[in-house]
Parts: sequence; C-alpha cells; structure tokens
Amino acid sequence: MKPNFVKKVTNWGNFPVVEKEMRSEDQYSKIKDFVLNHNEIIARGNGRCYGDSSLAESIFSTKKLNKFISFDRLNGIIECESGVLLSDVLEISVPQGYFLYVTPGTKFISVGGALASDVHGKNHHAEGCFSEYVIDFKLMNEKGEIITCSREENSDKFWATIGGMGLTGIILSVKFKLKNIESAYIRQESIKAENLDEIFRLFEESESWTYTVAWIDCLQKGKDLGRSIMMRGEHAFPHELPEKLKNNPLRLKKKFSPTVPFYFPGFALNSLTVKIFNYLYYKKQAKKEVKNFTDYDTFFYPLDFVNDWNKIYGKKGFIQYQMMIPKDKGREGMQRILETIANSGSGSFLAVLKLYGKENPEAYNSFPFEGYSLALDFKVDKNLKKLIGQLDSIVEEYNGKIYLTKDSMSRSSLTNYLKNVENPKFISLQHKRILNNNTI
Amino acid sequence: MIVLGSTSEVAQAFVEKALQEGEKFEKIYLLTSSREASERFAKHIDVKFFQQSEIIEIDLTKEINYTKLEQISSNLLFCATGFLGEGSEEGLYDDKNTARIIEINYSKLVPLINFFAQKFESKRSGTIIGLSSVAGDRGRQSNFIYGSAKAAFTAYLSGLRNYLFEKKVHVMTVKPGFMDTKMTEGLPLNPALTATPKQAADCIYKAFKKQKNSIYVLPIWSVIMLIIRNIPEFIFKKLKL
Ligand SMILES: Cc1cc2nc3c(=O)[nH]c(=O)nc-3n(C[C@H](O)[C@H](O)[C@H](O)COP(=O)(O)OP(=O)(O)OC[C@H]3O[C@@H](n4cnc5c(N)ncnc54)[C@H](O)[C@@H]3O)c2cc1C
Repeated sequence: MKPNFVKKVTNWGNFPVVEKEMRSEDQYSKIKDFVLNHNEIIARGNGRCYGDSSLAESIFSTKKLNKFISFDRLNGIIECESGVLLSDVLEISVPQGYFLYVTPGTKFISVGGALASDVHGKNHHAEGCFSEYVIDFKLMNEKGEIITCSREENSDKFWATIGGMGLTGIILSVKFKLKNIESAYIRQESIKAENLDEIFRLFEESESWTYTVAWIDCLQKGKDLGRSIMMRGEHAFPHELPEKLKNNPLRLKKKFSPTVPFYFPGFALNSLTVKIFNYLYYKKQAKKEVKNFTDYDTFFYPLDFVNDWNKIYGKKGFIQYQMMIPKDKGREGMQRILETIANSGSGSFLAVLKLYGKENPEAYNSFPFEGYSLALDFKVDKNLKKLIGQLDSIVEEYNGKIYLTKDSMSRSSLTNYLKNVENPKFISLQHKRILNNNTI
Repeated sequence: MIVLGSTSEVAQAFVEKALQEGEKFEKIYLLTSSREASERFAKHIDVKFFQQSEIIEIDLTKEINYTKLEQISSNLLFCATGFLGEGSEEGLYDDKNTARIIEINYSKLVPLINFFAQKFESKRSGTIIGLSSVAGDRGRQSNFIYGSAKAAFTAYLSGLRNYLFEKKVHVMTVKPGFMDTKMTEGLPLNPALTATPKQAADCIYKAFKKQKNSIYVLPIWSVIMLIIRNIPEFIFKKLKL
C-alpha cells in the first residue's frame, strides 16, 4: 500500500463533492516541500464553508496545525496555530474570563478559516469582523517563505489575506485579542415580529445591543411576509444571574450532543416539512417577548447542538445563500427576495436576517458592509439554479454582494470582488469558477 | 509522566486526556528525537493546562546517554515509539531499514524501558504503558520485519508485567490496529477499523484506570486478530495479507 492522499472531499453543504489530493503536515519544512512541489493549492481548515472555497487540485489541510502557542492571560492575547478550532479556544478561555470578540454561528471552525473568511457574528454592527482583533499572523507564501503580517509589517499581505479566502498562501498561526467576560451566560431577549416592517423597526431600535439577529419564517406571504423572531443579547454579569448560576458563573455543565446518524433520504425535506418546522419554531414562543438567561453555547451556537445536522439535507447536499444589500434599500430588497422565495415554494429551514454596521475600509476583501444580510439554506435539486438566478438578479439590482465562504453557484458579478490576491500557486476551485464565469 | 516518542499523536492525545481528567503531574518528560515538534506540544500543554514539561532529546538509533535521564522521577511511563519502515517488498533486503525497525521497535527500546522499570521497581509503584501492534500477533508478508519486532516487544511487555507484578508495578500492552496518524496518512484505510488518536487515547486512558493487562483499541480488532491467529498455517501461507 503506497500512500496517494487522494480523497473524497466536500464541505459543510455536501456540495460539490470532489476527489482531490489532500495532505496535512505539521512541520514547516514539510509544508514548504508541499508548497514547492504542487500547483493549484488551497488551504482547508475544518471544511465549514458551504461550497467550493476550500477545495482545489491540491488541498493542504491544517488539521495537524492544532497547537496553542501562547496565552497572555493578563491582556487576553492568545496565539495558536491556524488549525486550532474556535471551540478549543473557548474551552480554555471561558473559564478564565475571556470570550472571542467575534464568532460565527458555529464554533467548529478553525482560526485560519476565521481569518481567511474574516468571519462576522451577531455583533458586526457593534464590533466588526474577526480581523479587528487580529494582532498578527504567519503566512507561508508561494515560495515557501514564512512571513509575519501585521498592520505594520507586510501590511499589504495582512489586508489581502483577511477575507482573502486562502488565495494569498497558507496561514500558519494567528495571534489575536480576546474580550473580557464575567460569566459564561447571556442576558437574552426574544421578541416576535409580525412582519417585515416590525422586524426592521426592531433592528433599528436594537442598535445599542451588542448581539442582534433575527430568524425569519420565509414561507410566509402577504401581510405575514417577514414574520420573525428577533434575538438580542449581552454578556451577563454574575450579579444579574439567577441564584443557581451565581456560584460558578464561568463554568458550564457538559451537555449531551446527539448526532445525525446518516444522510436523510431526499424526500424527507420538502416544502411541507419545512413549513411545519417554521410554524413550530415561531409558535414555540407563546409570548410576544421573552427575557431570560442562556449559556453562551445555546445563544451563539444553537446549531452545533446536533452534530452533523447537514446530513438532514440528504446526499445531494444543500447550499447556503447569503447575500447583502445596502442599508437604505434593505427593507425593499429583502421584501423582493422573500417574495421570490415564497413564490418558488422552495422553503428554507433557516433564514437569518442581520443588520451590519460600517465596514472597515482597510479590510477591503471582507464581505460585510453597512446593510442587511439574509442567509438561507436550500436543498440542492433541479429547481435550485433557477431560483438562485432570480435571487442573484435582485441582489445585483441593489448593488449587493454574496458571501464567498457560502457561495457555490452565484454569478461571478456578485462574487468577483477580491483584490490583490492573484497568485500562481494558490487557487481554489471556487476562484477558478469565478474567474471563468462558470456555475457548477 | 514520562513519554517515550512524544511526537506520537496517540501519546499527545493521551497526555491531553489524562490532564483533562484531572491527573496531576509535577512535570511531563517528553523524550523525543525531534525537538521542534515536542516544543510545539510543550507550549500547547502549558497554554491549555498550565502543565510544565521538559524536553529530553534521545535518538534510539544512537548511543543513549543515561545520565540525562537520571533525575527523572515519575510513576507513569507511556511508550509510543515506533518505526514502520519500508514494507517487505522494498525493505526486506535493505539491511539499514531492517536494523532501524528492530532497533526502534525493540532492541534499543527495551534497555530504555528497563532503565525506568528499575526505578519504578525500587519505589514499588508505577504503571508502564507500551504501544505494541496487531502486526505482532502474526507475521504477514506485507510488514513482517516490523511485525516480528512488535511480536518481540509484546512478549517483552508480557514478561515484564509478570515480573513486576509482585513489585507493585503494572504493565499494560496496547495493540492499536489501524490508526489515523502520520504513519498511515494517505493510505486507503477502512474507517470502521481505524481509530483516531483521540479515540485511542480515550480508550487507553480508560484501560489504564482499570489496570487492564492487554487491550485492542477498537474491540473489532480482537475479533479480527482471533481469526487471523487461528487460520491454519497451510492456508495462511497462501494468503495475500
Ligand atoms: C453552521 C454554520 C454557521 C456559520 N455561521 C457563520 C456566521 O455567522 N458568520 C460567518 O462569517 N460565517 C459563518 N459560517 C461560515 C464559516 O464561519 C466560514 O466558512 C469559516 O471560514 C469556516 O472555517 P473552516 O476552518 O471550516 O475553513 P474552511 O471551510 O476549510 O475554509 C474556508 C476558507 O478559508 C480558507 N482557509 C482555511 N484555513 C486557512 C489557512 N490556514 N490559511 C489560508 N486559508 C485558509 C480556505 O481556503 C477557504 O477559502 C458558518 C458556517 C456554518 C457551517
């Protein structure tokens, strides 16, 4: 048996699936050999992007770059290798009173992936993207050299790499700041909104909250269009907490996580099941407004509770469509997007609406800008391309954008926005597709 | 705790598992031939668990300087050193390859373990965990030099267990089966038969707490090896295993 490293690889959406060479090394000298001896390389973290952005002819997996390097506990500055997961960071930082400044909706992503996608969270309007808290990182370039990048040193590479989707090289390690917390709990308010007008008003009213997000039932039409639940939260102080949590405010009990054991058959998820799910989700909350305390895992990572939930979409997989429309046209654009989806009958389990704050003009490759974004999951089937085409047209009309880390089939006029990343060595299947103006 | 072969992913996963479970070690001694990789691990456990460690370079293919090891005091030894070498086709008649396999997996390793065993014996306490291999259960054409060294190592561990029993030192033999590690990267392994280092570590830790004598990491391997050991030789010799 000779190793050949060719593997079936796919990301979170299970679409597309490719057979490519995938290697993982932890010694810099070996990573350098890999870079010098291969072409069309892309780095891959934990494969939590949805489409083809971490797939290439030769994939470098950072799975083995999984070690912490240092933790300055006084100032909350941590340095780790790029394959360390955010969940690993939280495991050690939370008990010591530190949280991630910016976290996406899953903690099972790598630090390298967080930087390459410059991820955002529920607090973008207040605290920006992941990169705001990055002090420096080490990057292996196309010559196999390791360069340190910060705002002062190699700053051109620093900014190109942030949100640069791995096209500038392999991020080896990252040093970043953490935020102080006094408890592992969130003071949360959930408020039901009857329709689009109400949810937009709630967003505007909630701007002083650190964390805001809304879940939309996207099968509703007419006067119920935009029926949703707004969730907003703040890190709780120990004195606010209920008695039973006060004693050990930084420790959570271990929870049981069920695992989806196999791919669901394709018919399991049709518009009826989605309708029922959405109905129940909305009705679950009986009162107009609920105020409570919840642990950080439940607040930030509700989906992580079920391992491998992506399998419920069946073997053909699914995509996530995340688009963004400028703020002044947000209400109008979202209405048209939601109407188009409701008319198509292709429901989405999950539709997340979010208001974003001002972008950081230096981080020119990052996705967010001031506006509204909607993220939707769609099962891959024969009708999907047509729907995506319709949605893309609307997004284009409003000068919107598509999030690259979720893209797998949008038109390139909406995704071809990276600058300063062209590189003969590092290219993903996604970037090739975008440059060639192809859809899968 | 003393770790022989501290760049091994299973050894590292075991150290993490033990620390997670709240085991206390004054210091962890990382014995290794690769300082760089062990330094990464040393920093990692310092950040993660406030755990102090010390790296001691040793190379089993060279003369071992035992004075460096005199000051070590511990009552848990985890031995994960191993060298697969080239399988029979390429490696059989390559003497260097053969010598290396035998040295690292057995002949140079045994005196090193004996050195620590003696320390444990004099204190009348301690546990020695040795990673052997299913390859040592029966010689197969694909890797029998490695297998023979592991067979010898398995026999050594079993004898040592017997010898140290009265002296209150426990010896545990681990036969991992396929593992998803550097050693096997890129090989088309059956996932149902392959353990991740973390799975292996969890299982080894459990067995360590229960003072087991000899374990397979995935239970399925005890069945597979039972069958393989019992195939009559006149059939076995014709098989392509
Ligand atoms: C349930 C769920 C919820 C999510 N919620 C959010 C959210 O709220 N906000 C948000 O912003 N994102 C969100 N995401 C997307 C996710 O945060 C990003 O896709 C993230 O980049 C995935 O990280 P990863 O480690 O899995 O990287 P991968 O998916 O493996 O790779 C993603 C990109 O990063 C690059 N990359 C990874 N590691 C390196 C490296 N070491 N060097 C160079 N390039 C590298 C890859 O080339 C690729 O382009 C969510 C994803 C899921 C599955």
